Amino acid sequence: MQAARPSLDARAWSFWAVTVMIAASLARNPLYTALVLLVTIIVSATNVPVHNNRAILSPLRFALIVIPLSALFNCLTIHLGQHVLFRLPTWIPLLGGPVTAEGLVFGAINGLALTAIFASFAVFNHVTPVRDLVRLTPRAFHEVGVVISIALTFIPQTMRSLERIRQAQAVRGHRMRGLRDWLPIVIPLLVSGLERSMGLAEAMVARGYGAVYEKAQLLRTQALLALGTLALLGGWLLWLFVLLQRGIAMAVMLVGAGIVLGAVWQAGRVVTHTVYKPRQWTAPDTLVVLGCVLTLVILLLPLPLDRNTLYYSPFPSLSWPSFDVFVGLGFLGLLVPAMIGRGGQQPI
Amino acid sequence: MIHFDQLTYTYPSASRPALDCLTLDIAEGEFVLITGPSGAGKSTLLRCLNGLVPHFTGGSLSGSITVAEHDPVAEGPQALCQTVGFVFQDPEAQFVMDRVEDEIAFALENAAIPPAEMRLRVEEALHLLDLAPLRDRPLETLSGGEKQRVAIGAALAFRPRILALDEPTSQLDPESAEDVLQALRRLNQDLGLTTVLVEHRLERVLPHADRLVYLPSFDKSKQQVLSGPPRQVLHQIDMTPPLVTLSKALGWDPLPLSIKEGRRFAGAYIAQRQARPSSPAPQAASRRISSQPPILQVKGVCFAYDGATALDGVSLTVGAGNLVVLMGRNGSGKTTLLKCITGLLRPQRGEILLEGKTIAGRGTADICRNVGYLPQDPDALLFADTVAEELQVTLRNQGLEDSPPIVPSDLLAYLGLAGLASSYPRDLSVGQRQRVALGAVTITRPNLLLLDEPTRGMDYQAKQEIVRLLREWQAAGMAVLMVTHDVELAVQAADRVVLLSQGQVIADDTPSVLTASPLFAPQVAQLFPGTEWLTVDDVLKD
Repeated sequence: MQAARPSLDARAWSFWAVTVMIAASLARNPLYTALVLLVTIIVSATNVPVHNNRAILSPLRFALIVIPLSALFNCLTIHLGQHVLFRLPTWIPLLGGPVTAEGLVFGAINGLALTAIFASFAVFNHVTPVRDLVRLTPRAFHEVGVVISIALTFIPQTMRSLERIRQAQAVRGHRMRGLRDWLPIVIPLLVSGLERSMGLAEAMVARGYGAVYEKAQLLRTQALLALGTLALLGGWLLWLFVLLQRGIAMAVMLVGAGIVLGAVWQAGRVVTHTVYKPRQWTAPDTLVVLGCVLTLVILLLPLPLDRNTLYYSPFPSLSWPSFDVFVGLGFLGLLVPAMIGRGGQQPI
Repeated sequence: MIHFDQLTYTYPSASRPALDCLTLDIAEGEFVLITGPSGAGKSTLLRCLNGLVPHFTGGSLSGSITVAEHDPVAEGPQALCQTVGFVFQDPEAQFVMDRVEDEIAFALENAAIPPAEMRLRVEEALHLLDLAPLRDRPLETLSGGEKQRVAIGAALAFRPRILALDEPTSQLDPESAEDVLQALRRLNQDLGLTTVLVEHRLERVLPHADRLVYLPSFDKSKQQVLSGPPRQVLHQIDMTPPLVTLSKALGWDPLPLSIKEGRRFAGAYIAQRQARPSSPAPQAASRRISSQPPILQVKGVCFAYDGATALDGVSLTVGAGNLVVLMGRNGSGKTTLLKCITGLLRPQRGEILLEGKTIAGRGTADICRNVGYLPQDPDALLFADTVAEELQVTLRNQGLEDSPPIVPSDLLAYLGLAGLASSYPRDLSVGQRQRVALGAVTITRPNLLLLDEPTRGMDYQAKQEIVRLLREWQAAGMAVLMVTHDVELAVQAADRVVLLSQGQVIADDTPSVLTASPLFAPQVAQLFPGTEWLTVDDVLKD
C-alpha cells in the first residue's frame, strides 16, 4: 500500500459530514435528497481508499435494508393519503386501516434521507485515521477519544475472530438451527474479546497509559459539573413554568452553561498530552468549509429563492416534487472534497 | 541493574505461589534468556520487572525487587514505563493506533513529551528497528515480524534502559522470528540495552544470550532456579534444542551453542567415523513411504480470495497411516488448502477426494465426520464448561451421542487429560488446551486428521506429547496432514514433506528435501551437510 496521509483535516471532514446531515434532514424533497446522496457517493468514490478494514456495512446495503423497511413501516402505520393500495382489517391495533401509496412514498423518502446521512458518516469514518479521531475530541475527553479509537480497531478484529470461531465450530459438526446454537459462537467470541481487552489494557499500562489525576481535582471537577448541570436544568424549568421570570431563567441557564464549560476546560488543563506531527490547516480545508457554508446559507438563510421546493410532502395526494436549480446548485457546495481528493491520500 | 531478593508471589485465588523465593541478579547490558516449561512462572517474573505484577494482576508478594534503582512494587508500571520497555507475545494484541508512526508516538503523546523531542524519539525508534520505510503503513498490512518490530519500537520510544520481551517470536514463522531476533541482537550490542527475553524454544535465541535462567516446573519445585552462562546451565537441564542434546550425548566440550560452533566438532566426528573400517556411510533411519490406499487425494485445486490467488493447481495424496507435513512461508496457501479439504472454502477448480469419493456438494459438518480438523487457535473451539463436555458437544452435533466411536473417557486418558475431565477448558495451559481441542475433533474417530500449527507456543515437553499421540494414531492407520513452521517437529514426525510456495507445490518428498533450504533445514542437517541425518536419533542410532 502506498505511503499515505489524509489530504484533508479531520475537522474539515467532520464539518462536511455534519453539513450533509443537516442538508439531508432539512430537505424533505426526494430530488434534493437524491442529489445529496449522489454527491456523497462521488466524494466517497474519490476519497475512500479501496482497501478499507473499517467498513462495516456499505451504504448500498444500508439502503437496501433501510428504504424498504422504512417504507413498509410507514405505510402500515400511517393511514393517510388518497391512493389506497389495500386495506387491513381495522380490528388490528395500529396497523388496521387503509394502506396508501402516499404512506409508502413518505417512508421511502425518510429511508433515502437516512441513507444519505449514513453514507456521509461512512465516508467520514473511512477517511479519518484513528489518530485524528482521537484528536478531534476535546482535551478533557481525551480518554473517551482513546476508548473510541480502540473500539474502532476492535470492530474488524472481532469480525475476524467471529469468522474464525464460526469455522472452528463448523468443523465439529455445528449447525445453526435455533437460539441455543448461538452459544458455541457467542461464548468463545465474548471470552476472546475479554481476553483481548485485558491484554490491551495490560499493554497500555506497561506503556505508561492511565491518567494520574489527583483525586481531589477529580472530585472538584465532578462537583462543578453537577452544579452546572443543576443550574441549567433549574433555569430551563423556570423558563418553562414561570413565564414572568424569563430573564432570570436565562441568566441562571447561562451561569450553568458557564460552570459546565469552565469545569470541562479546567479538566482539560489537567490532562497532559501532546500531539505528534500535528496537521496544519490548509487552503483545501478552508475550501471544503466554504463549500459547506454555501450549502448551509442556501438551506438556512431567507434568500430570494424558491425555498418551498425544499419541503415536499406526498400527502394528501401523490404529486411530482418540484426542483429549483439554484437550491440544487447550493447542494453542490458539498462536492468540494471530491474535487480536492486524490484517491483520498497524498504522499508526504 | 536488576535484583530479585527472596521474591515470592502468589496470584489472587491461587493455592500456590507462581514464584517461590526467587533470588536473581542481572547486570547492565546483559542479554538474558529466561526459559523453562509452561507454568513455571517465566511471564510472571518478567511482569515483576515493570510492576505489572502485582499492580495489574493483584495477588500477594513478599521479598523485594530493584530495577535500575527503582522499586516497581512501590512505584507501579506507569512510573516504570520509562525504565522498562515491555513487548508482549502477540503484537496485534497491543496496538492502539492503526499506523506505524502513530503507534510509536502513542505513549509519548500520553506522557506529554514536547512535540520536537517526540519527533526525535520516534525517528530514533524507527531507525533502530529499520522501520523508516514502513512509517506510514497501516499496521494491518505488515507481516508478523514487522508488526513485532513496531511493538519493540513502541516500547523503545521512552529510551528505556531495559527491554523485557515475553515470547516475542512464538507467533511468528521462522523468517519473521529471525528478523526480530536480529533486531534485538543489534539493540543489545549497539545500545548496550539490557535485554530480558522469555522463550521456550531455544534453537534460535541461544547464540545471542549472555546468560540463561531456567525456571523449573512447579511439581519439581525442589529443583533450584538455575542461572549462569548458557553452557553451564544447559548441562543441567533436559529439554534442549537438537544441537545441544546431540552435543551432550557425544560429549562435545565446550558445548556448542550455534551451528557454526558445532560444525568444528561435527567435522571431526565424521572424520573419526570414516576412519572406522566397518562403519557404513551416514544414512537416515529408514522412513516408510507407504503404498497404502489413499485417504485424501487433492487434484489440481485452485482457490483465489477476491482475485488474489491462494492455491494454484495443488495436487497431493495422503495414504492411510501416512503423516505428511505441509510447510511454506506465511501466505503460501497452507491454511487455505486445509479449509478447502474441510469444505469451509470451495475450490474454484480441481477436485478433492476423500476415500475415493468427491467432497463436492457435501457440507462441512458432513465432511468432518470423517475428517478431524484442528484450527490454528484452539480457543476458537472451546466453549463448554468442562473438558468432558467439549467431547460430548461434538458427538451431539454429529448425532453420535448414543454410539460414540471412541469412549470419551478412554480418549481423555489417551490424551493425558484423564484427571482434568471436569476442569474448565480455558483455565488449562496452552498444551492442555490444544489436547482438549484435539479430543473434540477426533472423538468421531476420523480417518484423516488435519492439523494447523498444533505446537505453536508449546514447550518441548508438550510438543513431545503431541508427537507421541500422532505416532500412535498413525500406527493405527490414521492419515495425518499437518501444517507447521516447526522444522524440528517436521523431521521428527513426518513421512513426507510437501513444500508450498505462492499456492503451488514446489516439493513433495521425504523430509530430507528440507536440508536444501537454509530456512527450513533442521539443526542436525545444518551440522552434517551432505549426510542424510535429520534428527538426533538419526545420528546416535547410526
